[in-house]
Amino acid sequence: MERSGVNEPLVVEWKDGMAYRILIIDDEDDIRQIAALSLETVAGWDVVLANSGRQGIERASSEQPDAILLDVMMPEMDGPTTFLKLKSNPKTSHIPVLLLTAKVQGPDQRRFAGLGVAAILFKPFDPLTLAGQIAGVLGWRQSA
Amino acid sequence: MDNLPPANDPEKNSQQTLHAMLAKVWERSKSTVAGHVQVLQNARALAINSHLDEASRLRAVDSAHKLAGVLGTFGLPRGTDLARTAEEAFGNPDGMSRIEMERIGAALDELSRLVKTDDPSIPSKRAGASG
Repeated sequence: MERSGVNEPLVVEWKDGMAYRILIIDDEDDIRQIAALSLETVAGWDVVLANSGRQGIERASSEQPDAILLDVMMPEMDGPTTFLKLKSNPKTSHIPVLLLTAKVQGPDQRRFAGLGVAAILFKPFDPLTLAGQIAGVLGWRQSA
Repeated sequence: MDNLPPANDPEKNSQQTLHAMLAKVWERSKSTVAGHVQVLQNARALAINSHLDEASRLRAVDSAHKLAGVLGTFGLPRGTDLARTAEEAFGNPDGMSRIEMERIGAALDELSRLVKTDDPSIPSKRAGASG
């Protein structure tokens, strides 16, 4: 499990000369904005945004991101349901998904971990270290 | 962006750029944050009078959950703690005791004061950078 709180060195991540592309799915405007600013500014990644599970599934299919940061609590389609739909779609099943949640209780965490997500990241996150957390979980090379 | 450092220190540059951008997001988010705090204050007022209906209680839980997730990200970890206290209290469908209600009242008063800040200690300050 990754948890924010410790300031780690800033990272800039690239793959084959191209910036990584991250899809952020969250219904909260401010969280989407902060996460996007964080990943774009600190790591130089490309960020694609979606404000619902349904929109996220569409964007994941069309944009083919390298990873998805997925909020747990969303209206209509929550994070776990969105995750299962992503995994059942051949166009998106290969994309690693990191859950982002403010739920800190053990039973919730165990339930989320049992889904098969790549990692669970916790809100509140530190915008300075979010990219490093994601890169660490996914084994992406730290180039700076 | 205002007051950006010279380009010869990319790490500090990105920290200060991020800090400036987050300060702007905070300014835009303050009214939303205040709205969530108001939802909690309203729910507490209803609970004191034993008029807290299920929809208002669940709305309070949702607002508290959102505040818990976002305030620490803006550099207000105390706000996250207070919001979690409220989330836990309103999350109990059996209601709150008088003592719990007083505790929540104090927590919400502190939360109200906290979210009025113009200068949350957002990331570059936490990281020890200037600015």
